[in-house]
Amino acid sequence: MSFSEKIRGLYQTQLGEIRNAGIYKEERFIHSSQAADIEVEFPTGAEVKKVINMCANNYLGLSSHPEVIKAAHAGLDTRGYGMSSVRFICGTQDIHRELENRVTEFLGTEDTILFPSCMDANAGVFEAILTSEDIMISDRLVHASIIDGMRLCSAQHDTFKHSNMEHLEEKLLLHADKRIKLVITDGVFSMDGDLAKLDIMVELCNKYDAMLLVDDSHSTGFIGKTGRGTHEHCNVMGQIDIITTTFGKALGGASGGCVSGRKEIVDMCRQKARPYLFSNTIAPVIVSGVLKVFDILSASTERRDKLEKNTAYWRKGLTEAGFVLKEGDSPIIPVMLFNAKLSQDFSRDLFSRGIYAIGFFFPVVPNGQARIRTQISAGHEIHHLDKALAAFIEVGKKYGILGLTKEQIVAKYGL
Amino acid sequence: MYSGFKDYLTGQLNEIQEAGLYKNERIIVSPQGPFIMLDTGQEVLNFCANNYLGLSNSGELIRAAGEALKSHGYGMSSVRFICGTTDLHKELERKIAQFFSTEDTILYAACFDANGGVFEPLLTSEDAIISDALNHASIIDGVRLCKAKRYRYENSDMEDLETQLQLAQEQRFRLIVTDGVFSMDGNVAPMDEIYRLAQKYDAMVMVDECHSAGVVGKSGRGVTELFDLGGKIEIITGTLGKAFGGAIGGFTTGKREIIEMLRQRSRPYLFSNAIPPFVAAAGIRMIDMMTETNVLQDKLHWNSEYFISRMTGAGFDIKPTRSAICAVMLYDARLSQDFAARLLKEGIYVIGFYYPVVPKDLARIRVQISAAHEKDHLDKAIDAFTKVGRELGVIK
Repeated sequence: MSFSEKIRGLYQTQLGEIRNAGIYKEERFIHSSQAADIEVEFPTGAEVKKVINMCANNYLGLSSHPEVIKAAHAGLDTRGYGMSSVRFICGTQDIHRELENRVTEFLGTEDTILFPSCMDANAGVFEAILTSEDIMISDRLVHASIIDGMRLCSAQHDTFKHSNMEHLEEKLLLHADKRIKLVITDGVFSMDGDLAKLDIMVELCNKYDAMLLVDDSHSTGFIGKTGRGTHEHCNVMGQIDIITTTFGKALGGASGGCVSGRKEIVDMCRQKARPYLFSNTIAPVIVSGVLKVFDILSASTERRDKLEKNTAYWRKGLTEAGFVLKEGDSPIIPVMLFNAKLSQDFSRDLFSRGIYAIGFFFPVVPNGQARIRTQISAGHEIHHLDKALAAFIEVGKKYGILGLTKEQIVAKYGL
Repeated sequence: MYSGFKDYLTGQLNEIQEAGLYKNERIIVSPQGPFIMLDTGQEVLNFCANNYLGLSNSGELIRAAGEALKSHGYGMSSVRFICGTTDLHKELERKIAQFFSTEDTILYAACFDANGGVFEPLLTSEDAIISDALNHASIIDGVRLCKAKRYRYENSDMEDLETQLQLAQEQRFRLIVTDGVFSMDGNVAPMDEIYRLAQKYDAMVMVDECHSAGVVGKSGRGVTELFDLGGKIEIITGTLGKAFGGAIGGFTTGKREIIEMLRQRSRPYLFSNAIPPFVAAAGIRMIDMMTETNVLQDKLHWNSEYFISRMTGAGFDIKPTRSAICAVMLYDARLSQDFAARLLKEGIYVIGFYYPVVPKDLARIRVQISAAHEKDHLDKAIDAFTKVGRELGVIK
């Protein structure tokens, strides 16, 4: 066997190092639907326990909404289970086009193309439209999938400091001679919860003749007055050339993503984007669920309004308790702990108190920036938030970090 | 800015149109099946789906998915390691490992992502990837994302593979990568020879079973079954999106430490959603069905042999195949488009493939056989091919 003892041993050593560093990712098994209250088996083999989920991307509480489930069920009955095909062979149903049109209308763009996930949308969009004559200028904290997409594209690449508009302007000046300039940012940054300054970015792009791509995966459905996304919040609807986003978070959470924007860009993706041409179409059952999600969102802003209220309540509670938080206007609220191992211990202690929230550390966030990322949902009621807050305070006291500054926490636990 | 770019793109799109290479999507208004309904109202026989076992519209899978919608909801809104792992995901991973006689399994949103994320966590610039020239686009992209040194050998050419393996001896680890069945030709990788060379030159083997799982081998366990290599291949990637129900989802299955490392480091796993629980539930049912009976495989194998032998008899130039893929060679891109268009008028839905999906001047119609096809469906298709083939002077 060529999987020799040497190779097995090498991987075992690497895995041992990950474990010893206290950063091994262990999965917890959920025995229920995704919701505010979930049933979790952790560690493996333990009795299933009811806990409050504070770390899902289920921002609008639609992941197990009865109407969405009903629509998915109806989709199964009328459209079958799978298409067993990519889009351009025999994988396009009328409902795929319908969903593309609904997304276009909702985001206020010209056209939309579906991908199996937003990871794939981001992986495919750059190579389809840019060449080595062009330049991609990206925020330093954009999502991993954008980074992989850029790695697969022969266009030149540069970055600007996170949300630093002076630095972006410098870079636009520096690259003024390039044929096409594409500025790339997340709408809401997933680990910090802060919003991109899209109003300024649009201005700069106009001034320096650049295009703008926004990944709105953590915003579509709830950021902005009617939940259209970061571009609505920043009052620049219709001015973003490319929006990528996902159905895997607020919009039901099953799977699927898209590129939405200028008509010709979308058309070029349909001709050239590799994850579109070489991977399956979204299953009709998922399309049916997402269509229902758009019905729900178009009928009322009730869910995003509730999310906003919940978020304000949660942020206020944590602030008053004396936690170090990242600033931001989104339902992502990181509780900063800085030390990787502390983030793991903290998470474990929360779990034993019935609160499910995961600790994040390098490489998901920069070294020395470990945190518990809490994510608020319209599926949370005030009693969920109160119970979670009580647990955070208890564990915060246990580790003696309440009221401490970043420097004090770092002095106590190291980076 | 966009106005300048718009002109540029419009020019490019026009070029694609003029070359006759523009991809138009036909819109289907029915479930996937041997018969599908197009939005024009035409009902046609479908011969171009990856629906090899005819299970894309399976009542059993729909029932299993429906039950899980009730018990586990619609979506997880999470990646696996945060709060996206259900008991169903773990059970499916276990079942896939059992089915392929491997040690462990990791699920992905698609096999595109499984292939995209398998190389980078396992291999470094000290190592070598030795890849078949006709491997799927997703393998190529995965290799592009990995720092290992790349070697390429001509499709299924074992002499060339041996040469490349010799060249790769100075690297630390070597991984031979091949499709099990090559999707555009239908030929099966010579796994026995590949395995022998891997032993001789101390290399690991990875095989993509997307077009072979469920299809090739007596019980549909793919090329490892066909060549009696169960449990001997280090890495198998595959999909739930073709023979296994056709919805979404892919997997990597193989050695325990490899899977464990992917769970810690594979980017499409760490940074993309868990597959929805109802897809996992249907996957579990699927593997159970595969274990219970070989009826569908037997029918698919019979259908494929019948179709290929009659098409060859009619005078068509068919690529050698041991799978459910039958490439009818037409060579000329435009002819492949005309041929497909005429077949559609005859009620047969197939697609003509041309460069860059296949090499230049090797345009073809790729026919894909399904266990859902009945003999009269096959006869109807063969008759239509013969009629159009004569009209266009492809056969006598």
